[in-house]
Amino acid sequence: MRYFLISGMVLLLMACGSYPKKNNFQKVEKATMDIINPYFSDRARDYVYKAKITFADKSFGGLFVVKKLDEDQYRVVFTTEMGNKLMDFSFEGNTFKVNYILEEMDKKILIDLLRKDFYVLIRERSTVIHQYAKQGDTTLLETRAGKGTYFYYLYDNKLQKVIGAGNGKEKTIYDFLEIDGYLAKEIDIIHKRIKLSIHLKAI
Amino acid sequence: MRNILFSILLLGHISLLLGQESPMNGTEIIGFKDLVNETSKTTQTIQSDFVQYKHLDFLSNDIVTHGKMVFKSPNKVRWEYTEPFRYSIVFLEDKLLINDGGSKSNVDMGNSALFQKLNQLIVNSVKGDLFQDSDFNMEYFKAQDYYKVVFTPRDEKIKSYIATFILIFDKVQAAVQEVKMVEPSGDFTRIVFTDRKINQTVNDAVFSN
Repeated sequence: MRYFLISGMVLLLMACGSYPKKNNFQKVEKATMDIINPYFSDRARDYVYKAKITFADKSFGGLFVVKKLDEDQYRVVFTTEMGNKLMDFSFEGNTFKVNYILEEMDKKILIDLLRKDFYVLIRERSTVIHQYAKQGDTTLLETRAGKGTYFYYLYDNKLQKVIGAGNGKEKTIYDFLEIDGYLAKEIDIIHKRIKLSIHLKAI
Repeated sequence: MRNILFSILLLGHISLLLGQESPMNGTEIIGFKDLVNETSKTTQTIQSDFVQYKHLDFLSNDIVTHGKMVFKSPNKVRWEYTEPFRYSIVFLEDKLLINDGGSKSNVDMGNSALFQKLNQLIVNSVKGDLFQDSDFNMEYFKAQDYYKVVFTPRDEKIKSYIATFILIFDKVQAAVQEVKMVEPSGDFTRIVFTDRKINQTVNDAVFSN
């Protein structure tokens, strides 16, 4: 019985190997870098993206709009192409407010999911818990938001993607693509555990 | 000098009056509706460009999109965005065909029954013939260059989404020049039609999407 318990624990520990370890990153003793996500940080800019959301075999499109209103204060709105508002959220520090959501979409599970996804996209600064490095120029920075653990990938000191991880595995991937200065012209959000993906293209 | 000042004030007052809207009286409303119905009856096809302005109060600028609309009597409509992205919806009798930058579907999760109603309202407004719609109260106004009809929803669900729906008609043919959908928050979608072509041949293939 004791043997069985120990082997169970060993198996569990192996399965729970950390995300950086599984991806061959070495821990850096003292973190030297900060997490800065510049892609929604310009208060003078209206961020407007054409969005395509795919859930299972269904998809729908729309416009994804983000505006930084003040330090740590954002408005995130999703409309259809024809201008019908689907959802309207406010983020202020750690507080989150639903200004409007279409009745058909007013489901706690969906709102929680989108709140987390959008928060990762817009959050400008996060506290680094650990820093990791890999041969070449890749740096991995670990942070927490709510109950989630997130890893920020920096290539050449530029934020390229964020991984939401759980049990050492990728749960959600946020890919910043076609980067032009401080603008990510394309963004992909891919959920691994549910068949949900969001593709954003700047217009 | 006093006379000049007085004239300026008077002119200013007159131009203010001219620019103002005033409610139509009963006879004017009947005349206006007859004109719209007459235009609608003789209209077999409409092709028009449009510019859509999505106004969100917190943005520095409206989101501007451009597109084309094709209508063929009695009820086929193609609504297409061409700039800055490609997206088209074809409204057939009982179904929607969507082409989102190449990916095609006839289901659209963003198209709830409410949106179908609102979008149908926009595309039907192109014909101008919306006065039979019992879901709305209507108020009629006239100005020097245009007629204006303000639709206010009666249904509570629609009311929670849209405060008013406004159509602006030109005075010659009573053709719709502009559509404005105002949300309870004050945010709005405004669509301005330009380069309208009436009764030119439209091939049915346009509605296959």
